[in-house]
Amino acid sequence: MRLTSKFRLRLRSLCFRDRLEQELDEELRYHLEREIEAGIAAGMTEQDARRRALRSIIDIEQRKEECRDMRGLNVIDNAAQDFRYAMRGLRRSPAFAILGVLVMALGIGANTAVFSVVNGVLLKPLAFRDPDRIVTLTTAFKGGAKFNVVSLPDFQDWHDQSAAFSAMACYRSSEEPARAGSSTEYIRVARVSPEFFQTLAAAPAIGRLFGAEEQKSGDSATALISYSYWHSHFGGSTAVLGQRVRIADQALTIVGVLPPRFHFPDQSDIWRPLDAVDRTLPRTSLTFLAIARLKPATSLEQAQTQLTSIAVRLGQRYPDSNKGRSVRVTGMRDDMVSDVRLTLCLLLGAVCLVLLIACANVATLLLAKATSRTREIAIRAAIGAGRSRIVRQLMTESLLLALLAGAAGLIVAAAGLKALIALAPADVPRLAETSIDARVLAFTLGISVLCSLFFGLVPVLYASRIDLNDALKQGGGRSVSGGRSNRLREVLVVSEIGFSVVLLAGAGLLIKSFVALNNVALGFRPERVLLMKASLPASGTEGDRRARQFFKQLPSDFLSLPGVSAVGATMGPPGDVESAGGYWIDHLPERMKSDTPDAVFSVVTPGTFAALGIPLRQGRDFEERDAADAPYTAVINEALARKAFPGQDPIGRNIFAGFDSFDKPMKIVGIVGDVRQWGPARKPEPEIYMPYDQHTSGAGATLNVVVRSSAAPEALTNTLRRRVQELSPDVPLKFTTMEASLYEEVAVPRFRTLLLAIFAGLALCLAMAGVYGVTAYAVGQRSNEIGLRMAMGATPRDVLRLIFKQGMRLAAVGMALGFLGALAGTRLMTSMLFEVAPEDPGTYAGVTVLLGLMVLSALYLPARRAARLDPLVALRQE
Amino acid sequence: MSKPTDLVQGTLDLLILKTITLEPMHGWAIAQRIRQMSGEVLQVGQSALYPSLHKLEQNGWISSKWAISENHRRAKYYTLTKAGRKALEQEAAQWERLSAAISLIVRTV
Repeated sequence: MRLTSKFRLRLRSLCFRDRLEQELDEELRYHLEREIEAGIAAGMTEQDARRRALRSIIDIEQRKEECRDMRGLNVIDNAAQDFRYAMRGLRRSPAFAILGVLVMALGIGANTAVFSVVNGVLLKPLAFRDPDRIVTLTTAFKGGAKFNVVSLPDFQDWHDQSAAFSAMACYRSSEEPARAGSSTEYIRVARVSPEFFQTLAAAPAIGRLFGAEEQKSGDSATALISYSYWHSHFGGSTAVLGQRVRIADQALTIVGVLPPRFHFPDQSDIWRPLDAVDRTLPRTSLTFLAIARLKPATSLEQAQTQLTSIAVRLGQRYPDSNKGRSVRVTGMRDDMVSDVRLTLCLLLGAVCLVLLIACANVATLLLAKATSRTREIAIRAAIGAGRSRIVRQLMTESLLLALLAGAAGLIVAAAGLKALIALAPADVPRLAETSIDARVLAFTLGISVLCSLFFGLVPVLYASRIDLNDALKQGGGRSVSGGRSNRLREVLVVSEIGFSVVLLAGAGLLIKSFVALNNVALGFRPERVLLMKASLPASGTEGDRRARQFFKQLPSDFLSLPGVSAVGATMGPPGDVESAGGYWIDHLPERMKSDTPDAVFSVVTPGTFAALGIPLRQGRDFEERDAADAPYTAVINEALARKAFPGQDPIGRNIFAGFDSFDKPMKIVGIVGDVRQWGPARKPEPEIYMPYDQHTSGAGATLNVVVRSSAAPEALTNTLRRRVQELSPDVPLKFTTMEASLYEEVAVPRFRTLLLAIFAGLALCLAMAGVYGVTAYAVGQRSNEIGLRMAMGATPRDVLRLIFKQGMRLAAVGMALGFLGALAGTRLMTSMLFEVAPEDPGTYAGVTVLLGLMVLSALYLPARRAARLDPLVALRQE
Repeated sequence: MSKPTDLVQGTLDLLILKTITLEPMHGWAIAQRIRQMSGEVLQVGQSALYPSLHKLEQNGWISSKWAISENHRRAKYYTLTKAGRKALEQEAAQWERLSAAISLIVRTV
């Protein structure tokens, strides 16, 4: 009975609220009257009795509130009421609401977009079974150098001697011409060791994996294909098993299809066992990538310890190659994303700052609103709203605002994410998997609520300290705002400026680096150069002959075309170096050592230097006489000449290179200028150029034909394709321009520079809106004082100076704090900077000037309004 | 004057329940009765009284009814319910124990 009656009462409280309110009123009024009567009866005058009773009237309202609380009515009721009230509040000042929601939506949207990339790339588990158990094994050298490649003999020893892994595999991948049916195209082909699919826990969708025999023989003509390749080239038919796919001149039998979306490594579409050459590579040849699956009970540290001790043993046993060489075990996901992690963290940090600035902005708006509502809040407090009630109500408003902004932010984020993916460098791993998923939604909701707490708390801090007496005594709402709200406002603006300085400094440094990166002397002229990758289906001596013939005939053929000024062909164009290794001058040492100096190896045809625009400094270019049966020749770059022949003439000297014809001396016939072989960010390294005719077997049947044209190089594409098809129809071609491939190389720096610049710009705009808003507000508040000053003889100039001085004081404090933050923050991005120090004075000076100008222009309008105040009007407002 | 917070928590509830055992009373009368019965020691202000009354009603220990008062005006009268009577017994027993215990300590020392 008690429970039901309790429920009935609660229900009554909720349903008949008005009647209950009336009853409460009447009950308390009765009490008041009795008090007065009692007072009179005790001998007071009626007036005194009434006054005594009335003194508690404010108290009564408070009691009413408590009575409501006791009925448990308030919690639900207040929330609903707060919500209604907040809605009404927002609707009553739509400009404020729209501005606030817009500003926050930008901040929240940018954060959501960047977070979804971080989530997709850094946080989501890999799409393999038990992905946490998969690790990568990389080579590490004493002294810190780390390479992701390993040698096959090392790998074999790790595999045989360790007990920490349930499977271990190595692989390599390359782009090769593959022919299925009638079309030939370049696709990614992976060569994998036996336990590769076991390590990744991948089972074929149809067919089978490689058998033990196929793995061992080294010349197996079998292949696995990807699900998408199956569908695009074989129509998804099960008859694919047993069909052929040709790579170069070899026909491979398809034995299985891998599951959908399996393209590891590097978007591969075809997988083959390691070949015979792979198996004979020495310990010095770091060629493969290695992965392994940890046994269930083994930790990464245990595996590391085990492999380290194996590596120490190998170092003792093979000191020439393995001295100081060790192995590093890393979680596969960490290893995959290590390159982009810093960039993504930087961007996430940057959008966080933008969000903080947006919050500060909205907080000043809310604060202004709260100030103009001081009287209203005071009255509500006076008639019985408890402090917690007022706080709750103000917070509801902020929360509503933030949730609306969060919803709008999701729209911003969806668009932003699309733009981000489009802007991002093509090789960011897992970017394609990025989407707005449940975790991202939770993140958005989370930051919306956090933001509402942040910017909602500011007006609450202010409102909860309103002095009722003062507030109610004041005539207007105007001069009520005392030092407190102004101080809060100033703190907000200072922090906005400070955060913008940090972002501007970061963006400035990146822009400066990026400009430096783009202006760096590459050593060749990339403009109007077309690259045409071509592969002959050739192998063996006959294949070599054919390839030699093809790449000899093609350039002379192309040269006859109008608009073509120079033609050559190279194994690895600048930025896409294929090979590097040790070199020796004059004669080979008796015993090979692992500390031989390194040079980049390039195999080129005659005319390539002219086509790329690499200047010949001394001697001659390769010519037709540097044929396969002629004495071997080489051209070196200036870096090599400086390093290996200090103060000597290299021309005519002999050089040996650890390439295909390792023991044959090559006579140096020319010296060319240095080229940045590894992209703009790295200094030129010593380089040895060798003629294609003499190194066909080492360079292979795939070359990049370099065509320098006098007009837009893309226009040549079709003509060249036609020419090649006439010459040799089964040659796959791939066209790109030198500039486009350079553009790709600086894609990561461009991406982060662009984004950080956008965020910094956004921050600057928001901060300036903040400066403007606060100053305009202050001018409004002080119009009396300003009027008085002018009446006392201050000139408009004095007033301008007054307003500017105050604004600039805030800006100066903000900038000083911002510089401290920037100095600490930009240190973290040292590795992203190119030829710019993190404390680059030029950048900081630029930031100061830019921000100073922006602050001045933000101050100008309100300052001018102040200077034009009519003292009479301003004073009359009192 | 004894402010509400000075009363031991729950004591006011006990006083109210006790006061209305004999007859239904309205708020003001309850306050007067407590004052008289305590020999003017306990003065219950409306600030404590009404929230307490509403809470007790919400608990189902007392019920209320509008009636015409001794000075011919409408007033809200509170009556002890069955549950309230039981609660009063418990509270009173509790109070006895507590005050006896406190007395023991205060007197012996």
